Amino acid sequence: MNSQTVNTVCGAVPADDLGVVSVHESLLSVVPGAEHAHDITIDRAEIFQILSRKLNDFRNHGGRTIVDSTGMFHGRDVRLYEALSRGTGVHIVASTGMGPEEMLGGYFLTPQTHPPRPWPAEKFADLFTKEVTEGMVVPRVERRGAAGLVATAANREGMTAVEESLFRGAAKTALNTGIPVSLRYGGDAVHDLEVVLDEKLPAGRVVVGGLDRKDAVAAGAPLAVARRGAYVALDHVGLDGDDAHITDRERASLVVDLVQAGQAERILLSSNAIGVAKGRPPYELPYSYVSSTFVPMAKSQGLSDEDARRILIDNPRELLTLDRG
Amino acid sequence: MRVLSRVNTVLGPIAAEELGFVAIHEHIGYGMPGCELDTKWWKSPEQRYEETVPKLRKFHQYGGGTFVDVTGICNGRDVDYYKSLSAKTGVHIVACTGFVGGDTALPFFAGASVEYLAQQFIHEITVGIGDTGSLAGVIKVGVSRGGRMTDLDKRIYRAAAKAAVATGVPIMTHLAIDVEPAIEIFNEEGLALDRILFGHVDDGVNHQQTRDTWIAEQGGRLGFDTWGYETELEDPPFWARPRKERLEHFLRFIGQGYVDQVLLSADANCSPLGWPGVKGHTVNYIFEDLIPDLRDSGIDEATITKLFVDSPAGFLTLKN
Repeated sequence: MNSQTVNTVCGAVPADDLGVVSVHESLLSVVPGAEHAHDITIDRAEIFQILSRKLNDFRNHGGRTIVDSTGMFHGRDVRLYEALSRGTGVHIVASTGMGPEEMLGGYFLTPQTHPPRPWPAEKFADLFTKEVTEGMVVPRVERRGAAGLVATAANREGMTAVEESLFRGAAKTALNTGIPVSLRYGGDAVHDLEVVLDEKLPAGRVVVGGLDRKDAVAAGAPLAVARRGAYVALDHVGLDGDDAHITDRERASLVVDLVQAGQAERILLSSNAIGVAKGRPPYELPYSYVSSTFVPMAKSQGLSDEDARRILIDNPRELLTLDRG
Repeated sequence: MRVLSRVNTVLGPIAAEELGFVAIHEHIGYGMPGCELDTKWWKSPEQRYEETVPKLRKFHQYGGGTFVDVTGICNGRDVDYYKSLSAKTGVHIVACTGFVGGDTALPFFAGASVEYLAQQFIHEITVGIGDTGSLAGVIKVGVSRGGRMTDLDKRIYRAAAKAAVATGVPIMTHLAIDVEPAIEIFNEEGLALDRILFGHVDDGVNHQQTRDTWIAEQGGRLGFDTWGYETELEDPPFWARPRKERLEHFLRFIGQGYVDQVLLSADANCSPLGWPGVKGHTVNYIFEDLIPDLRDSGIDEATITKLFVDSPAGFLTLKN
């Protein structure tokens, strides 16, 4: 098949069908272990209803594709997402991958060997690659669909040895399968990007999330990442005035600045909204916030219609389209 | 008032008198958290029952009454499955709450407070595990890989101690190394040390670092509970130990007068979840190898009954 396609939970779809995409969102988010908590109820019907309402709102504001970028071990529920996609008409791209280290299970960190050696990059690559080539796991039951993205993350204090293995494993997965890498950097965006590029993955196959963090902006990381050729995700749109991130107004001017610096083709916008949160506080922000509220504001600050379209539609399409080498 | 004798099994509380012969530290199937993502280990339900049911049936035929499963919350514990196994084989199964060690507690629990963890354990002991309706009968705690108790291990021990005091359920530990902080925690929480089984004192890797006599002097119970993990096996695990050496360790220890404080088990997996398991090693090692070895060593029948019937009954009985 030569046509350009994207892996969604309901199968490969033509890249041109994606429309407006949100690349860094979360549908059902379950902190690993919370499924066993005595005071947390997981009512699938209720979860479906809430997510369905939110996806319909996204669609009603022009959204067509949601990327659940939480990886394979944070509540991902492939069968639920298939039903949601069928019910709402919104394309859902699910992700493989894991990270940061503190979110991993002991199977990967302290295996039953003497001494316990954490997994190397090759084993992570194998685990993630099979989620694309053989299907995403429904644990101990079956494989379904193909992951459309491999997501990983490092912790704020700086990348650990295990996280380096995760990043390299994610890069190898991208090279093996053609899906892109999403990385949430730890202490240093450019450093962490270089780790995946060191695996010979083209920068255009990588999106770096969290570049609207204050420390990253102060360090000039958004422009540096764009110049390196990776996608710059300003992906906390709607998070306005917390300690760690710039405000929406500042985000909008950063978008305009990046466009003026000739990097319109590298910008992505998303909000890291959480559809349903289990084991963590809810984060109630509509998936439609980027297109309905933020983009109009950015336009008022000088973003052209053409560049807005590029950022919402063309850039994520290029990112998500399978790279068939 | 006469205190009711009760032990929580997955099919409901039973009188301790009904337990019979007990395998105190076993696993239906154990895997490290996250292993469920790796299809390398997946088995069909047919295969799982096929690997498990004959072992439990044989256990029952040998005279086994109760199988205590100490697979922690995040290690593949599957109470609905245990219920079906128990109902179909007639073996009482006791399930646990708690964690095998801090490094097997997933992030949600790793970040939780002592109070929250204690609530989780108490809920599973008094209200139920998930929506199974089954009550946990023991609390599992343990020392993470690395040989020292981590801060998280200590939080789990303290929460377990609070839950044990509140509910009367006993505690079983994975490993008894670096035991001083553990005993300090139990003492601070006012939990009598005979409510704790300090496990794996006979383990091939850790026995030399385990102060078994000292723990016994403090009043703790000792688990010689990895019988059968022998260097003589075709493919022994890293924690294996020469069969004779383990037996001599045990005989020496009870010779010091601690026979009332020891419990024995094989720590086998009926059908392992996230590792290959150890070929040829099952719970039935207890009947097929261990008890003959004990008899050959001059242990009398009354002592064998004490080790496998009376002592476990006393330990498992809810203390109020």
